[in-house]
Order: sequence, then C-alpha cells, then structure tokens
Amino acid sequence: MNGPARLEVRELVVSFGGLTAVDDLSMTVQPGDIVGLIGSNGSGKTTLLDAVSGLVPAASGTVLVDDEDLADYLPEERAAFGVVRSFQECRLFPELSVEDTLLITEDARKSSDVLSATMHLPWARRVERAKRKAVDGVIASFGLEQFRYHQTRHLSTGTRRVVDLAAIVLARPRLLLLDEPTAGIAQREAEAFIPLLRRLQEVTGATVLIVEHDVPLVFELCSTVVVMQTGKVVASGPPEAVRRDRKALDAYLGASDEALLASGPLEGAADQSPGRAGP
Amino acid sequence: MSVPPAIVLEGAILGLNYGLLAVGLVLIYRTSRVLNFAQGQLGVVAAVFIVKCYYDFGLNYWFALFLGLALAAGAGALSELLLRRIFGRPRVTVMVATIGLSQLLFLFTVLPFIRPKQLYRAFPVPIHWTFHIGSFLFSPGDVLSLIVAPIVVVALAAFIGLSRWGLAMRATADNSESARLSGVWVRRTSTVAWTIAGVLSAVTAVLASPGQTSVLTQVLSPGLLLLALLAAILGAMVSLPVAFAAGIGVGVVQEVLEWNITNPSSGSATVELILFVLLQLALLVRATSLQTGARTYERSSWAMGTASFRLHVDGLRKSVGRTGIGVAFLVAALLPMVVGVGHSYLMSQVCIYAVIALSLTVLTGWAGQVSLGQFGLVAVGTDLTAHLGTSVPLVLLLPLAGLATALVSVLVGLTALRIRGLYLAVSTLGFAFFMQSSVLTTPCWTVPLLRRRICTGLPNPQSTLISRPSLFGLSLSSEQTFAWFSLGVLVLSVLMVRTWRDRGIARRFIAVRDNEVTAAATGIHVVRTKLLAFALSGFIAGYAGVCLAFWLERFSTDTFDPTVSILVVSMVVIGGIDSIAGALLGALYLVGLPAIFGTTTTTEFLTSGVGLLAFILYLPGGMAELMHRFGDLATGVTRAARQRWDPPSSRLPGATDSDGGAGHGEGPVGTPLTEAVP
Repeated sequence: MNGPARLEVRELVVSFGGLTAVDDLSMTVQPGDIVGLIGSNGSGKTTLLDAVSGLVPAASGTVLVDDEDLADYLPEERAAFGVVRSFQECRLFPELSVEDTLLITEDARKSSDVLSATMHLPWARRVERAKRKAVDGVIASFGLEQFRYHQTRHLSTGTRRVVDLAAIVLARPRLLLLDEPTAGIAQREAEAFIPLLRRLQEVTGATVLIVEHDVPLVFELCSTVVVMQTGKVVASGPPEAVRRDRKALDAYLGASDEALLASGPLEGAADQSPGRAGP
Repeated sequence: MSVPPAIVLEGAILGLNYGLLAVGLVLIYRTSRVLNFAQGQLGVVAAVFIVKCYYDFGLNYWFALFLGLALAAGAGALSELLLRRIFGRPRVTVMVATIGLSQLLFLFTVLPFIRPKQLYRAFPVPIHWTFHIGSFLFSPGDVLSLIVAPIVVVALAAFIGLSRWGLAMRATADNSESARLSGVWVRRTSTVAWTIAGVLSAVTAVLASPGQTSVLTQVLSPGLLLLALLAAILGAMVSLPVAFAAGIGVGVVQEVLEWNITNPSSGSATVELILFVLLQLALLVRATSLQTGARTYERSSWAMGTASFRLHVDGLRKSVGRTGIGVAFLVAALLPMVVGVGHSYLMSQVCIYAVIALSLTVLTGWAGQVSLGQFGLVAVGTDLTAHLGTSVPLVLLLPLAGLATALVSVLVGLTALRIRGLYLAVSTLGFAFFMQSSVLTTPCWTVPLLRRRICTGLPNPQSTLISRPSLFGLSLSSEQTFAWFSLGVLVLSVLMVRTWRDRGIARRFIAVRDNEVTAAATGIHVVRTKLLAFALSGFIAGYAGVCLAFWLERFSTDTFDPTVSILVVSMVVIGGIDSIAGALLGALYLVGLPAIFGTTTTTEFLTSGVGLLAFILYLPGGMAELMHRFGDLATGVTRAARQRWDPPSSRLPGATDSDGGAGHGEGPVGTPLTEAVP
C-alpha cells in the first residue's frame, strides 16, 4: 500500500435533513494528480471531503480508494488506509503542544500499548523514541523548533497551518484532502503556500484533492480543476480549459470579473485589462 | 400490580416536589446554561430560617414565610452575582462551582441566627384541612402542596410566556450574545431568573418539609435532586410544563412501585434499579435534543481552558521540583514513625483518597469525561474485597479488583459515547446512587429467567466486617504498617499515572477531548480511546476500593454515599484537574484539613465549599498551580543565589533571567507532559 492512491466517487449523495449537499456526484482523481475543487459557498465541496474521509455518512453512492469501497471504514480507519485530510478551521488540539500534536499523528500509525508502556518494557520505550525522532525531523524541516512546547491554541492561524502540514507529512498520506489550506491567511502568505503545497505533494507522493476559494492559487497549482455547483460537478478539466469555460465561471463566480482577471488572461477579456495579464 | 388511587395521589404529591425542583433547574438552565446543583439547598436555607422565625422568634406564620422567601430570593440573586464571572467558562466548571455553592449554602443553615434551636421540630403548616381516600389520610401538608404547587407553576409559566422578562429570558437562553446586542439586559435577566429560582426552591422546601422525618437540613437531599434532574431531562432542560409533569410522573411511578413491593429489604433496591434505568433511558433518548441546536458547546467536555501541563522547564527548575517531591516523600515515609495511631490512620485515608482522586485525574482531567460517580466504582473494589476477603493474597486481589472495576467502568463509559459533559455527570451520579442503594444493599438476588441466585451486594449491608491481610508476611493490622502500605500504593499509582502521562497515553486522551473530529481524521480511534480512559480510571478506582476496605475494616452502604463521589470531584478541582500533584494536594486539603479541626459535616463542607468556589473563581489551575508558582519562586531564589556566589565568567550565557521560571509570561503552568528526550 504505497504510492499515490486513485479516488473514485460514484453517484454520491449526501443530504442533511431536506438539503441535498452532494447530489449524485461522480468523479475520478487519477493517482498523483493535484485536483482543485472550486465552487461558491454551499456548493458541497467540504461535504464531499467529509464524505470521502467518512465524517458524514453517504445517503447513497460509493467512495472507492484504489478500488476499495470505503463504506464500512470509520474515519480513523480511512486515515490508516492513507486518506488524510486537513480542516478549514484548523483548530487542531488546543491544549496540546506542537510536539504532542505531531506525536498524535505518529500514535495513530503506531499506537502505544498501555500495558507495555506501564510496565516500562524496552520495546515500548523504543517505539516512543522512534516516534519522537520522526517528530524531531519534521519539526526541524518545517522550522517549528521555537514553537515546539507551545500549546497550539496560542499559535497564530498561519503557524497552526504549518503544524497541520507537518502533521500531514508525518501521516504519510496516499490521498490528501485539503480543505481551504489558505483560509485565514494573508494574500501574500497564501502565495507562498503554492511552492509549499507542491513540495508537500512531492514529499508525500500523495494524490491531492484541494478545496480552495483562492482561484488563482488553484489555477496555478492544480493539474485538474473541478467546478461544483449545488452539489454537482458543472465543469472539470485542465485549468486552461476551465478558465475558458464561461459557463463554469459564471456558476462559480457569479460573474465576478475581478477574480477572473486576477487568475490570468481570459479570452475576450484580456484586452480589457492588460494590467494584470502581464507575462 | 395493584394501583390504589390514593397511592397515585400520594405519588403525585411527592412528585409535585420533584416537579417544582425540576422547574427551578430548567429555569436556571434556560437563562444561564447552568446545571444548578445548589437548587435544592437554596430552599433549605429558607425552610430552616422559617422554622427559626416561627418557633424561636415566635413570629406569625405568614410573616415568617415572607422572611424565608425573601431570604431565598436574596440567596438566589447573590449566588448569581457570585457565579456570574465564570458563566463564560466550560459548563462543567460552572456545575462544579454550584456544588461548592450548595455546600456553602449548607453552612448558612448552621449559622446561629438562622439555625433553630431544635432541628427536629415539625414544620409549620398554615391550614388544618385533611381528607381521606379509603383508609389513607392526607395531611394538611399534602393539601397545601396540592393547592400551592399548581398555582406557582401556572403563575411562573404565565410570567415567562407573557411578560417582558420572560421574553428576555427566552432570548438569553437561545443566544445570549445576540440578545445582548438586541438590547436585552442579559445580566439583569439572569439575576431575575436566579432570584425566581431561589423563591421557587423555597416554596419547594416549604411544601416538602411538613411530614418529613429526617433532619430539616436534609429535606432536599441529593437523591431528591437527582429525581428532579430526571424530570428536567425528560423536559429536555427546556420545557417547564413537561419538566413539571415529568416530576409528578416520577413521583407516581416511585410510589406505585414501592406500594407493590412485597419484600421490604430488596424492594427499595428494585425501585432504585428501575429509577436508574429510567434516568439512563431518559438521557439516552433525550441525548439528541439535549445536545443539538445553539447549545453546541455543551457537547464539549471538560476542557478547563487553563494551563494544563507545564510544557517545558529548564534543568534548574526541574531539580527544584525533584527536591520538593523527594522531601515530601521522605516526610510522608517517616511520618508513621513519629505520629500516633490516629494520625497514621488519617495518613492512610489521605493516601487512599489521593489514589481515588488520581483515577479522576485520568478520566476527567485528561479524557474530559466528567464523573460524579467515582465512588460507585470504588464500591466495586470494596465489594469484591468483602466477598473474597483474605482468601486471595493481597498482591493478587489488588489487580483483580482493578480489572473487575475496569470492566464495570467501561460499561458506565458506554453511555459516555452518546452523552457528554453535564449529562454524563448526571448519568454517573445516577450510577453512584444505583450502586449504593441497589447493588450494595441487596446481598443476593434471583435472576428472573435463569432462577439462579447471584450474590453481588455487601454480605451485610448494615455492617460488613473484614480483617486486614498481610503483605509478603508483614501483617498490615497495625495502623503504622497500613500507613506505609497506603503510601506505597500511592507512590506506585503516581509512577503508573506518570508513565501514562509521559508515554503518549495522556496525549491521546487530550486529543480526543479537545477535538474529536480531527482526532478521528488523524487516525486516533475515538471510541477505543474514550473507553480506555474509563478502563484505566476504573482500574485505579478498583484497587483503591480494596485499600479502602482494608483501611476501614468495617463498612456499610453508607460508606458509599454519592456525596463522597462529589467530594472526590471537589478534590481534583481544588487540586488542579489535570495535575497528578493536584490530586494529592486536593486529597490532603479535603481530607487532612478538616481532620485537624475535627471531622464534622460543617468543617468538611466549609473546606470543600469555600475551596471549590475560591479556586474555580480565582485560581483555576488549583493548588497545583500554587505549588508550581512556589517552585518557580524557589528556582528564582536559587538562581539568584548561584549567580551571586559563582564568578560571572562561569555563568552560562542566557542564564540572566533571574526572575526564574515565573517569567514564562502567559506560558502554562503545570508539570511537563514530555520530559526532554534523554
């Protein structure tokens, strides 16, 4: 079970009471792809991620990861299967230190058994030491040393996101679901996220499905862009194709041209605003 | 099952009390989101004062009544003013604060100008009407309840439904911040609600007191409060009419069941069993409506929001801490040689209670599961000891009892998978009552379908005697050796719990407590982790129960009064909810301190009531935080002394922060969760 996973969603329906958040949605994400999921608020993007990671039950339809039906998998079992996700609000564990937050990810992969820990058995000690070593490495590579003993609730949103990304590296995902990784981060820092996310994909070697409101970021980062509206896919394809697809853009942006222009030249619109469409 | 109408009416009259209390609970809950454990005690103060006015001062009944109600109203309003500053804190913290409040209110009843000269006096009733149904005579007190209670409830419902205040209360309940922005004076609304609840509680006490055989101050006991809670939960903590009706229903069910009991000794146990099952069912069925909607934060468990573990300390601070622990241990180890038998006995008690408190540190402090029934688990260990006695060697009995109790604890924990926070507290309190008045009181019972007798209760519920065993050939019968044994158990427990803290078990508990969804998405098995917390906590409580049994040598069902469970909760809150040292300090404070002044209910309640409120209000980190501050101070002094005596050239760079570790700013205070990797 190594290498990037293939995600296939077939005729998925998720509803809350009378509201159908994901409506008969089918999509496939090829191994190693970075797929961006865009759509207006309430179009069901986060719900789709929740359904894939098992946090909300599907009313019907199937979620397949590497052709394995995940219906009977608990969220924690999906995580063990390599389906790892980040959360929009990135709350993490407020009262745990950065070090412990990262150790939790290690715990999930190799749980310390209470009895041998209590008895101070040598191998329990070895396991704990190995975990700490792995965490030390990630702390060093993400530059988190100065925050090591800080509780995550004392951290700024940006730092919390970095901790979250560090945890993702430790989790060794095969399918990575990122829910608005740049939410609550200033535009300038968000731009710095693009190489970071790309690096993340290289390091983990995972297939990435990313929900993001920052359209320029999605268009720059992703190899495929999927546009959702009211629980359905309205358009998908490579960024250039989606960018040209006026219908998809209307669906998503409600014809807000500034955001479009910020994302690069648009056919027919390019001559109207040469300012941002430079090389 | 026969149901004479008179019994139903008698049950309904009893139920009126539950209903009124339940209405008070719901009222407070709706406006302040506080589960008010002091609801009963507010009225008791008034009832006691009315007796004082009526008999000792010779006042007219109505004037005495007026003074009593006014006192309760004032007590209600004052309580709100006192607790207001912590309303923003986690609900469970506020609930524990109301436990402290109720103990403080109890102290009011012993004040000389409130306490009557004779506590057993019949409570005055203004009317003399009686009536018969068949051979059943209904007393004037019953008639008074039948008249007054419905009027009070209808008046209250009208007030809330029709008046401006009622609207403000409902708005505050739904969303106090929005209400505030819309111009509702939230604070005053809350004060009004508490005032009304105080009067309501006084009315309950006035109606419940006539015909009571117990001491006046016990008129609204925790047991009665639990039944009122049952009624309030049936009303989803929202509906006044449903809560009132449910209260009456509970009273009727209780009376009818008791009437149909043929065997008086096992019968009341059956009633308790049925009420316990009812409570659990009510919680489970109502769980969804109790925990949905705007009240999402009630799903949260005990996150104190205070600094939990000291995250990182330097070497000097660490050695100061070690020195402190070493000195404390040395003093404790030498103590039995110096002090007399009585104090050795007391030392054993402190040690055993500290172990029990540790079990709650794991469960409540780390895993965030609030248990008000920890003594119910201790009872399992004690009960097992009563049955096995010295037939099993002590070294085997301790882990055996631990494992058995861990199993029971996991069963209790199963409800925690569905209900949380405040409601888990109610559920576990129910468990403590159930253990005391149903399991322990029934020595043997027959399984209905299998026709087999199972003996699970105390062999003799009134007084079970056991003799102390010996450990590795050393007899524990002398108080001195038993004190050492208790200390040994405590030290081993501390070492065990420390291992759990440093080897990744505590951090898993905290992760699940802090953020269940993220924990699950990370791959931590949520259900398994929660049940593990219950199992580990139960394990400790179980072998502590064995120690308790041998320490007491003679015990009865009264030993396991649920109020003791509440005392243990007070211990960990006063000590510092998630600190190992806190459990020890809390036990020392709540068991040791009252003993110095003579163990009476008054001193016990004084220390725990005042302690709870003082620490929750002013020092949420508990005594452990005080200890750490003291440690920081000692470190600072040591460092300053070293700098003075060492030549400056040998000073390490960066060792200039002569204010010691106290300069951590808002940095959390506590013990290190993770020691630096060696």
